[in-house]
Amino acid sequence: MGAGLAMPLGSVLLAFVLGAIICLVTGADPIAAYTGLLCGGVGLGCTQGENSALQISNTIVFFIPLVTAGVAVALPFRAGLFNIGAEGQLIAGAVACTAIGVQFQDLPTPVLLPMVLIGGMAAGAIWAGIAGVLKATVGAHEVVTTIMLNYVAQWLLRYMIIGGPLQLGEGTSTSKPIGAGAHIATVFPAGNAIIFGLPSSVYRVHWGLAVSLLAAAAFAFLLWRTSFGYEIRAVGQSQKAARYAGVSVRRTIIFTMLIAGGFAGLAGAVQVAGVDHNLTDKYFYDTTGFDAIAVALLGLGSAVGIIFASLLFGALHSGGAIMQSDAGISSNLVLVLQALILFSIAANFVGEIRRILPFGRAKPTEAIPPEMPPAAGLMSGPPASVEDEVK
Amino acid sequence: MSSEQLAVEMRGIVKQFPGVLANNHVDFSVRAGEIHALVGENGAGKSTLMNILYGLIHPDEGEILINGKPVHMAGPRDAIALGIGMVHQHFMLIPVFSVGENIMLGREPVAAYDFYDRARARRSIQELTKRYGLALDSDARMGDLPVGLQQRAEIVKVLYRGANILILDEPTGVLTPQETKELFVVLRDLVKSGGKTIIFISHKLKEVLDISDRITVMRRGKVVGHLTTKDSNEEEIATLMVGREVLLRVDKKPAQPRAVVMKVDNLSANSDRGVPALKGVSFELRQGEILGIAGVEGNGQSELMEVLAGTRKPTGGAVLLGDRNITTYDARTERDAGVAFIPEDRRGTGLVLSFSIAENSILGRERSATFSWRSFVLRLVAIRDWARRLVKEFDVRTPSIDVAARNLSGGNQQKVIVAREIGSRPKVLLAAQPTRGVDIGAIEFIHRRIVAERDAGTAVLLVSAELDEVRSLSDRIAVMYEGQIVSIESPDTPEERLGLLMTGGGKAREGAA
Amino acid sequence: MSALGDVGQLLLTANLWQAVLAAAVLLLLPALGGVISERSGVVNIAMEGMMLTGAFFAVVADLAWHNAWLATGVAMIAGALMASIHAIVSIRFRADQIVSGIAINIFAAGLTVFLVNRIYGLQDIGHVGPTEGLPYITIHGLDQIPFIGQVVFDQNVVVYIALILLVAIHLLLFRTRLGLRIRAVGEHPMAADTAGINVYLIRYSCVIASGLLSGLAGAFLAIGISNTFVPNMTDGRGYIALAAMIFGKWTPFGAFIACLIFGLGQAIYDNNSAIHISPYLLSMLPYILTLVVLAGLVGRSTPPAADGLPYTAGSE
Repeated sequence: MGAGLAMPLGSVLLAFVLGAIICLVTGADPIAAYTGLLCGGVGLGCTQGENSALQISNTIVFFIPLVTAGVAVALPFRAGLFNIGAEGQLIAGAVACTAIGVQFQDLPTPVLLPMVLIGGMAAGAIWAGIAGVLKATVGAHEVVTTIMLNYVAQWLLRYMIIGGPLQLGEGTSTSKPIGAGAHIATVFPAGNAIIFGLPSSVYRVHWGLAVSLLAAAAFAFLLWRTSFGYEIRAVGQSQKAARYAGVSVRRTIIFTMLIAGGFAGLAGAVQVAGVDHNLTDKYFYDTTGFDAIAVALLGLGSAVGIIFASLLFGALHSGGAIMQSDAGISSNLVLVLQALILFSIAANFVGEIRRILPFGRAKPTEAIPPEMPPAAGLMSGPPASVEDEVK
Repeated sequence: MSSEQLAVEMRGIVKQFPGVLANNHVDFSVRAGEIHALVGENGAGKSTLMNILYGLIHPDEGEILINGKPVHMAGPRDAIALGIGMVHQHFMLIPVFSVGENIMLGREPVAAYDFYDRARARRSIQELTKRYGLALDSDARMGDLPVGLQQRAEIVKVLYRGANILILDEPTGVLTPQETKELFVVLRDLVKSGGKTIIFISHKLKEVLDISDRITVMRRGKVVGHLTTKDSNEEEIATLMVGREVLLRVDKKPAQPRAVVMKVDNLSANSDRGVPALKGVSFELRQGEILGIAGVEGNGQSELMEVLAGTRKPTGGAVLLGDRNITTYDARTERDAGVAFIPEDRRGTGLVLSFSIAENSILGRERSATFSWRSFVLRLVAIRDWARRLVKEFDVRTPSIDVAARNLSGGNQQKVIVAREIGSRPKVLLAAQPTRGVDIGAIEFIHRRIVAERDAGTAVLLVSAELDEVRSLSDRIAVMYEGQIVSIESPDTPEERLGLLMTGGGKAREGAA
Repeated sequence: MSALGDVGQLLLTANLWQAVLAAAVLLLLPALGGVISERSGVVNIAMEGMMLTGAFFAVVADLAWHNAWLATGVAMIAGALMASIHAIVSIRFRADQIVSGIAINIFAAGLTVFLVNRIYGLQDIGHVGPTEGLPYITIHGLDQIPFIGQVVFDQNVVVYIALILLVAIHLLLFRTRLGLRIRAVGEHPMAADTAGINVYLIRYSCVIASGLLSGLAGAFLAIGISNTFVPNMTDGRGYIALAAMIFGKWTPFGAFIACLIFGLGQAIYDNNSAIHISPYLLSMLPYILTLVVLAGLVGRSTPPAADGLPYTAGSE
């Protein structure tokens, strides 16, 4: 287990080191940058009087959709599929949640809340299902199809809230608000009671947190405790063995994508129900679905790993805002760090470094950690066996 | 025999791979201008030896002399420079390219601006092919050509690079009888008019006797015989190949076969390449008997097993289980119907290497009522109990059932598969190469279990390339050659006769059923 | 429906088709890069990031040195540098090529905005002057041909370059010795290796070539069509180029046809004031078109046989 953690931890460390170098080369102060990240992320080392509890609350708010979206990426990974469309599926879920929440706004919470959440899941499932069906039938690679669906979702969102059925009023780019019955309560009750030095209504952390943790648990349960999860993993590791076992690879692909889309749609629905209570143009620029890719990889595709990785990226996201306001360094540095983490994991730089260093273990360099299924080629179909064994 | 007349001399070659000594102090020599056959069963070490000669592998010990001069080869490029050319069993050809492009690859003639000079290539190839009588259409698409012509292209490729010593690795395995005849004409001509030296790796004895001048026989990594072809015969070669080792005779009571449980009727199927591999096979399998299929690999046995197990669709014929027609059943339905399958590819097909023993123990049965609640939730406790029981009963050497299958030895991996399939109490057990690459202790164990299954009333169909295994386990032996059953023999039949039948010789016994 | 009628009217104008060609070229350049890279066996989905990088550096260089050609050169080098990261990670470190491609795209998106902040602080990046962009060239004489004249011979210089590259790359891949070797490496690297071809060198070169082409496209977008840098201004064109490559069965001319189709979608969107449909619905057009094209691929498009599989030279 120790060896297993070294790679992701080392990759994060390496990314921060490389990020610091990029800062130095471009005249930014890496200490100021990382202090800003630290402050915004976990409330430590705040130099400008920012409230620590608020920062932590913000981190958790970012954390909540990341976990569910991370699951939406990690599950298909297990089947050998790349779900780059978590963002589009998330937006689809957010749109569906808003549409239902607006249409049925007078219904009470016990009815409306489940409706919007299930509606969100269904919308996300359909969004991903399109890609799944295309892959299973025509062999269209899910990377391209899910990315296309991302863009379609973005523009659908814009259409809905600007000049479309959900628009609040002329000239706005906001949707009508969802009914109160569709709200997810905040952890701290709204009001002016002072908690941790600030009025409690400032803290936006909400019970969607429970949904996220449940989602992670459901993911782990599905993957490790069900027959279908077993088959997903078999398909991802060895299609030959899966066929020997009598598993229909096609059906597995489609259902996996449907379920994954359901998770991503849930993330979007929870975000609307818990934080914004309406749909705004900011979803157009939302990057949760892409962060989720890094989360899934960094978390090595496991529920616990995803939770920790989501905490990290939630902290980075929250920290980025402080870094920008305090140190004047663009929050896009966070994206750079994220990419560096991805490179490091994919190329297993840590493994290479260990091989070179005298105290490193002489392990052969593997590309992706063995828990993740290999995924190669831009189209399905049998790859040629290049490494023929020389008998 | 002075060294100068030897085109190739290999002395004291040793090559060790993990778990197997592929070449054990091998001495091998070939005279200039002869066709020399290198013969042996799978795993005898002949391919390894030739790969060493071609520079693809480096020997642990020993030296190589070409035309009397000691050489050291870092890679195939050195071998090519020395005039050695190899035509591999798996062609190094690009199907989407033309014949000319394939042959010329790496030495393409160019006109201005690096434009590939197709006309000049065509002319060069025509020259070559005329010289050696190897007609080829330079512009044809390689993938469209029949295998015999593809092989011819490989030979021309090798000649184009100036090869004087040609190594052909199992060249006739993929050819029709007619193509084989044509190949032999070409080979004889290459030697007579072209002055080439040819090394011909094969296990097909009739052909070896037809084409070669001298023969070297290998078995289990050692050279066991040097023969002059015209003084030898099939029986002698077969005996040397198959060997007179101590037979692992399993102690078993005589079989008491009962009702017919599976009937195969004129079954046909294609191989992965789309070529007919199974050409009308019929037999009956009874409860309480072991029917062994003897034959050299690649004669349709794999395809037969895959069709019966439900992982390959047949092109004709029928399979009946009792009175159910199970011809079109898929793998899961077959399993549910009571047909268990030990596949020949344990690492790729029989196991998911990254899964633990426990997880592998239910591969194919993850939705059954025993291991899942309503085909949805896995019964982890039941699965773990099952896995533990299998590990104990089948003596799988492992610290725990959570060890990943890839970390087990080959023998233990195989035991997991055997345990899983036998443990399911099947009506019919299909066992393909059940002890390949497995250590002696595990072999004995697996053999005993298979016999125990038979005694308990299971019908067993056994396919093995190890003649010893087939002879010691089977109650009846069906010999397969080129997709058909050529004869059904009793296990007391002498090895020589079986060896003969396996390699295309001999006559079927009358009254074989 | 009046909208359909509007579209019909639009399709009859030379203006539209002029825009179609320009939009197509913007997709064609990265698509050509993708074709070269994948023909050598390296999956490359990083065109989006390489193009974005090229766009950014084109603007920065042009604002600094007021020379469009120099700026374009800088853009191409920037694209090539991005590509070399992908090449090293994929070839030397044998990382999963899709993850590496995605990482490049995220890296480019973040790095470009980060650098805008570093170089220009809180100010706007600024606009490139009207005489400092990549020039539009009208070929006098030929441009007088009715309809076609305006469409083909009254374009930005990059369009002409791209069309020449289209022919050149086609010839390179299918008529020259180098092209033969590239394709051999992509189909059966072991056969190429034993034939004496340097598999690694060819793969590195092809990936870097895709970076050069994507960088050029970025320059066209940034200082040819628009005149500034906007975050994520490539808008998924790199990914659409991928679809064009698949549709075109990994051939230059095939990809070009797909690019024309996608360019049509783009041009219709750009002219949305002439059509009375929500511009946002029209924006979906290129992407939905891509999906339809991918879904309808009759007879699966087959990539080079060894595409995406890292190669280990030698035996053992």
